[in-house]
Amino acid sequence: MATTLHALDAVSLPRRRRRQRGWLARHQGAILRHSVIILFLLIILLPLAWVLLMSFKTLPDAMRGVFWPSHFDFTHYPFVFSKIKTLPVNLFNSIYVTTGTVLITSVCAVFGGYALVHLRPGGAAFVTAALLMSLYFPVRVVSLISVYEIQSFLGLINSTSGLILPYITLNLAISVLIMRSMFQLVPHELFEAAKIDGAGPWRSLWMIGLPMVRNGLVVIFIVNFVTAWGEYLLCVTLTNDQDTRTMPVVLAAAQGGQGYWAWPNLAAVYVIVVLPGIIAFSFAQKLFFKGLAEGVVKG
Amino acid sequence: MDQSIAQTPVGMSPPARSGLRRQRNSAWRENAGAWVFLLPAVVFFVGYQVFPIIRVVWISFTDYQFLSDKPAHWIWFANYADALTDPLMWASLWRALYFTILFLPGTIVFPLLLAILVDRVKSPRLATLYRVILLIPAVIPSTLVFVLWKWMYNYQVGPINHLLVDTLGIFTMQGAPQWLGGTPLTLPSIAIMEVWWGLGYHAIFFLAGLNAIPKDLPEAARIDGANEWQVFWHVTRPRLAPIMMILVVLRFGSAMAVIDEYLIFGGFNRASPTYTWTMFMYDEAFKTGLWRQGFGAAIGMIGAIAMMCVVVVLLRIFRPRD
Repeated sequence: MATTLHALDAVSLPRRRRRQRGWLARHQGAILRHSVIILFLLIILLPLAWVLLMSFKTLPDAMRGVFWPSHFDFTHYPFVFSKIKTLPVNLFNSIYVTTGTVLITSVCAVFGGYALVHLRPGGAAFVTAALLMSLYFPVRVVSLISVYEIQSFLGLINSTSGLILPYITLNLAISVLIMRSMFQLVPHELFEAAKIDGAGPWRSLWMIGLPMVRNGLVVIFIVNFVTAWGEYLLCVTLTNDQDTRTMPVVLAAAQGGQGYWAWPNLAAVYVIVVLPGIIAFSFAQKLFFKGLAEGVVKG
Repeated sequence: MDQSIAQTPVGMSPPARSGLRRQRNSAWRENAGAWVFLLPAVVFFVGYQVFPIIRVVWISFTDYQFLSDKPAHWIWFANYADALTDPLMWASLWRALYFTILFLPGTIVFPLLLAILVDRVKSPRLATLYRVILLIPAVIPSTLVFVLWKWMYNYQVGPINHLLVDTLGIFTMQGAPQWLGGTPLTLPSIAIMEVWWGLGYHAIFFLAGLNAIPKDLPEAARIDGANEWQVFWHVTRPRLAPIMMILVVLRFGSAMAVIDEYLIFGGFNRASPTYTWTMFMYDEAFKTGLWRQGFGAAIGMIGAIAMMCVVVVLLRIFRPRD
């Protein structure tokens, strides 16, 4: 009996000693890992926190450059809306152009991806290859001269609506290719069965295809939203007047200083413009990650 | 119509022929129906990407000036000869390459490190939270990232100089670094901004790749006595190679063809390090004189061709060897 107790003690002693080494020592690796991750996350978040705080600062605080405002001033938000005349116009332009671009590109991408995988018209392989190649070529920059010419031929220089046309193509190739890889995950037999049951290609896309590529659609919505909402080069080249331009472009031209464009006001405008994307993303993030894993990485 | 065909003397019985015809007809109709779905995408793709590129190649062989009334002449390779003998063309290509060299390693290594760390996080809640925060910069539209960092680097209210001057006291107010506006620091500053922008997004890419590696592979290597570095180098790295290839090639392409950042941070000073081939093209085509778009198009084509040569080399280097 005593010997067995001794034996037990001999076994459990080192274990107890290990427990005495403490929580810190045992989780050394994990702590180090999490600290490095958190450091990176802080690097990501701090600039954004700075702008958010800037939009609540009083002007003297803003100029002194302190990180935390000495007292919070929420008047900049109503001020920019009531005092800066072109702000609602620019915001409307942004919303209008972005909505148009996202809707049309998504329709093109869903139809295109569906056709490339399940309808396979003659020349589908060629179209896929051309789309893929366009990803490696600096099309956006090199085609600018000709895009300007097309827009001027169509009478769309300095037109906000006109921006939608070139905006659609900015992400068209990648959107169609994402949709193509999404549709590749849908078994072809499903569409065959629908066809035998008498469903046409439209009906089977609507009833069978769309529900199954939902996650990819979320990715395409977000990717196109981000591009159209923040586009600079085309907007600054194809429009001349401040009231035809989108909000980010106006913001990029604004010089911080006194008056309407005082730093806290600028920051308030910035927060208004950047928030929709972040909110939309945080709502859709679960679907977005699924779609990203299914469509982008495998595609 | 059917009857007239049936009456023609062919060595095939009329019913069989019309059946074949109907079959061919329906195949044709199915093909046309399929093309209806493809058409919207193809119309925009051809109209605003394929045609413009062909048109730009055409323009690059002429002395076309947008604001001039005179008709353009076909001048063969005169624009290309002019551009290639211009030292600014070579300087501007080199500047773009210099920026790419500054940017590319950071935008691969940091996200990779981050992804390997996040991949080991066991708590699913924490892992999700990390991923969501990682992707926040990716959903900030490009111009807003540039505006944000324009303020970060601002010498008056920017927190970076505030940290260096007021908090750490490394610089005096007068001697504080000028990050943007065509100083030698401009390209490194933009590179830091771009690494920040891609940090989370690229990490998510690598995480997806790490997810695909069976967990028992690194475990087995560890049991065999491999240290963490050996596990990474011999087990993880080869399996991430395809994702790494895509990222390197795509980011090389986007870095060489950067223009928005240079328009916002640099301006059209020809001596500025931000005056790359894209700016050179833009300047000639939309800013200077009568908008020499023929010459601008040639600059754009030279830049694009130079880029594509490197892309082909990169694709060959990273080609899968098994």
